[in-house]
Amino acid sequence: MRRSDFLIKRAVFAIVTVFVAITINFFLFRVLPGSAVRNLSRVPNATPELQQSLEEQFGLDKPLWEQYVIYVRELLHGNMGVSFSNQQPVSDNLREALANTIPMVALGTVVAIVVGVITGVLSAWRRGTKLDRVSTNTAIAFYSFPTQWLALVLLIYLSAWFPSHGRTDDFLFHPTWWEHQMDVLRHMALPALTLALTLYGEYTLIVRSAMLETLGEDYVLTARAKGLTQRTIVTRHALRNALLPIITLIALSLGYVVAGTILIESVYSWPGIGNAVYQAVIERDYPMLQGAFLVLTVSVVFFNLLADILYFALDPRITE
Amino acid sequence: MSLLEVRDLHVWFDLPEGRQLHAVQGVNLDLDAGERIGLVGESGCGKTTTILAMLGLLPPSATVAGDVRLDGTSVVADEEEATRPHRWKDISMVFQGAMNALNPVKTIEAQIVEPMTLHGTAEGSAAKKRAGELLEMVGITAGAGARYPHEFSGGMRQRAALAMALACGPKVLLADEPTTALDVMVQAQILELLTELTRDLGLALILVTHDLPVVAQVCERAAVMYAGEIVESASLDDLYHSPGHPYTRLLFAATPDLYGEEAVLSIPGAPPRLDRDIVGCPFRERCDRAFDRCRVERPVLREVGDLRAAACHLNDEPVGSRT
Amino acid sequence: MGMRSDTLSDSPEDIQADLASGHRNWLWGIIKESRQAKLGLIVLLVFVLVAIFAPLLAPYDPRQQVGPVYAPPSWQHPLGLDDGGVDMVSLLIYGGRVSLIVGFAATMVAMVIGGGIGILSGYFGGRTDQVLMRITDYFLVIPDLPLAIIVAAVWGPSLSHLIFVIALLLWTTTARIIRAQVKSVRERVYVKRARSLGASDLRIIARHVLPQIGPLLIANTVLTVAVAIFDETALSFLGLGDPTSITWGTIIEFSFLRTAISSGAWWAVIPAGLCVAIVIMACFWLGQAIEDALNPRLKVSYVSPRRFRMRLPTTEDDR
Repeated sequence: MRRSDFLIKRAVFAIVTVFVAITINFFLFRVLPGSAVRNLSRVPNATPELQQSLEEQFGLDKPLWEQYVIYVRELLHGNMGVSFSNQQPVSDNLREALANTIPMVALGTVVAIVVGVITGVLSAWRRGTKLDRVSTNTAIAFYSFPTQWLALVLLIYLSAWFPSHGRTDDFLFHPTWWEHQMDVLRHMALPALTLALTLYGEYTLIVRSAMLETLGEDYVLTARAKGLTQRTIVTRHALRNALLPIITLIALSLGYVVAGTILIESVYSWPGIGNAVYQAVIERDYPMLQGAFLVLTVSVVFFNLLADILYFALDPRITE
Repeated sequence: MSLLEVRDLHVWFDLPEGRQLHAVQGVNLDLDAGERIGLVGESGCGKTTTILAMLGLLPPSATVAGDVRLDGTSVVADEEEATRPHRWKDISMVFQGAMNALNPVKTIEAQIVEPMTLHGTAEGSAAKKRAGELLEMVGITAGAGARYPHEFSGGMRQRAALAMALACGPKVLLADEPTTALDVMVQAQILELLTELTRDLGLALILVTHDLPVVAQVCERAAVMYAGEIVESASLDDLYHSPGHPYTRLLFAATPDLYGEEAVLSIPGAPPRLDRDIVGCPFRERCDRAFDRCRVERPVLREVGDLRAAACHLNDEPVGSRT
Repeated sequence: MGMRSDTLSDSPEDIQADLASGHRNWLWGIIKESRQAKLGLIVLLVFVLVAIFAPLLAPYDPRQQVGPVYAPPSWQHPLGLDDGGVDMVSLLIYGGRVSLIVGFAATMVAMVIGGGIGILSGYFGGRTDQVLMRITDYFLVIPDLPLAIIVAAVWGPSLSHLIFVIALLLWTTTARIIRAQVKSVRERVYVKRARSLGASDLRIIARHVLPQIGPLLIANTVLTVAVAIFDETALSFLGLGDPTSITWGTIIEFSFLRTAISSGAWWAVIPAGLCVAIVIMACFWLGQAIEDALNPRLKVSYVSPRRFRMRLPTTEDDR
């Protein structure tokens, strides 16, 4: 199938999926028991004006399907309602939360990828040896640890060296730009480390598997027949070829990482989107919950699409 | 002294529960420069293993005994680093199914240049130029080197693989079923190319195949392998007209004849298991001329005429009862 | 057995593979062959047995205070006491019960849904297949945990809700795998024969399709249980499980809510997570080993740290 055709198909699928998610989002909150849910205007401590304006915006007195249409329309304008907890627009809250999550996730993911690739390649090269068994089982172990539990364990042992709460130090007054960055970085250490440890196991297994596939291909035998060293073959031939499935699989996993941040941010009180979900659940802040769910779904869809694009961009075998 | 000498080559493969598979059972081979010999046999007879052993490319589950000498120096050594320099520069190989033998993410040119740079044959632009010349030699335009393997047809890929094999000017070329996956027309072309090139460049060629017409087109002599050993070695003419081993005779008779009306003869039965010692002649179960001696004594490969050898007891019997 | 099939290649790997392929289709045989599978199975059995015999094995009542809050490990209480003064060992044993039950139950439900959809999709093909697969695709893309959170949050905390929610996350992978298997089985000769003889679809599914996909279904089930238990701990941690029940997930949750860490009570945190991890690993070993045996990627690597061996010439003839 031609490249452009396939990509258009995938993009359309992505958009449709987002709509399905929006629809599920909408009906889920209105169909299940609990009337507080239905009423987006029931913002606690809201002024009558606010309530009135919300009712108008979301047409809360109109029939259900009309509400749906209005909901979607408002969504396209970036209006997701008002948070029950802090009476601020949901979209603003989410924007800030996302801005906090992304650096932390980026740090953790990059570390996980680097470590995962190194251990995966070594395991595949030395398949069957003790190194392989130890490395693979360690990867499986970290993959099996409950994320929130891992976060707690790190807290137990490392809280002497790293801050365990929040994103900034409340007692750091008027910090310089540099001091502030360092402060944030210190606070980011444990959450990012937790993420890295949880993720790297999966990546090790992915890389190892992809490498084993490649190392059994005939062109590897040809490379050996040519007199190339094993190290050259593994790092410059096999890895190059294995990169394709590796990258696409990693891109796919990233979508779900965002969901994993819920467990990490709640433990460390990191003010990101995961924590926003956690708080929203505790405080029954339904507009926030709805908004966050949508953001998380869109991120998964986005990364899936990215994986498809990367796959097609990187494989020289697919031609126009 | 021949260019390539194989002396008493044995290869065993480890099997579960401590057993071993005796895949190559004492193979001897002599090859001179410019000579083209075929290594013929059914699948599983050990021919591929034999040539892989020459390049030291056997898996860790293998045990090797014997010697392979190129120009007098042994190339199968205890250390990988002793063998590695010889690869491609002295002995190179064309594999079965070039579809997969070429790296899909590198250009053809890059793959031809690579061994040149590694072994010091040529560098940089000189290497690229030489790559272009090699491609022309095999019937591909030099410019096509910038393309990727998947952009070539099967036949072209095999030509490219051939060009790649000649990159460092080897003395010996090993070809393992080079045309099996190709259609008949392309097969003939490739084989002709192979014959021409080896003749023009003075290479020695070992062509491994189970397909007799292929051997007939390219080689002057052939060694027939069965159950890990060579059972007959002679000129193609002799093998066809006066085979010295029942297997050879049946093998040639089993080849489909496009023009004749003869029924296609297939050899019933299967080769013997190689994970246990063979008593008597390995071919006796399927042989149509087996007799008592075949059951107890294993035949030895010995001279049975001018530049021919065979391993069959029938050659010891009086003339009338021979194959 | 042991006779060579007619492959075009006589490469060493194929020769070996052929001779070794005697006994692969028996599930028990598979497990016996793999050390990994045996280990996984034994560990799982241990946990299941402990869970079943919980009342006999637990030294104390898991809801009864037997000492001060967060008392450290001692001879009578090897894993100390939790935030309510309850013995940790007993908590873990009883917690294992519920965690395993939730895990297995959710998996069963997911198997029924996923397996059912997979079989229908794979067997009937056509429109049915397309529609069902579209639905599966959408489900796959929606992130697991957030969906579960929303459903659980809005529905209310209870164990049965939890089981259903987890099942909701799990069925898609199963459906996909089963569908692929069913499709390939469907094309087999004996199924076609049965259909031409007029056997009903149901009969064919029961007599022919199910036994063939059985082993793979079992492997998938085991791996799903691992994910189910993982999900349970996650959801319980977020307060979406049943707060009155004792599971490994709620043990971790309470340790967090009741500041076990600042109190230095590592024993309230670490053992529960370890139990979860060990069970998940065991499931992974067992399930993966079965899957590997059924879909062998017998691809030999052409690169390896060890080299072939050279046998030095001896005086005796090797023949």
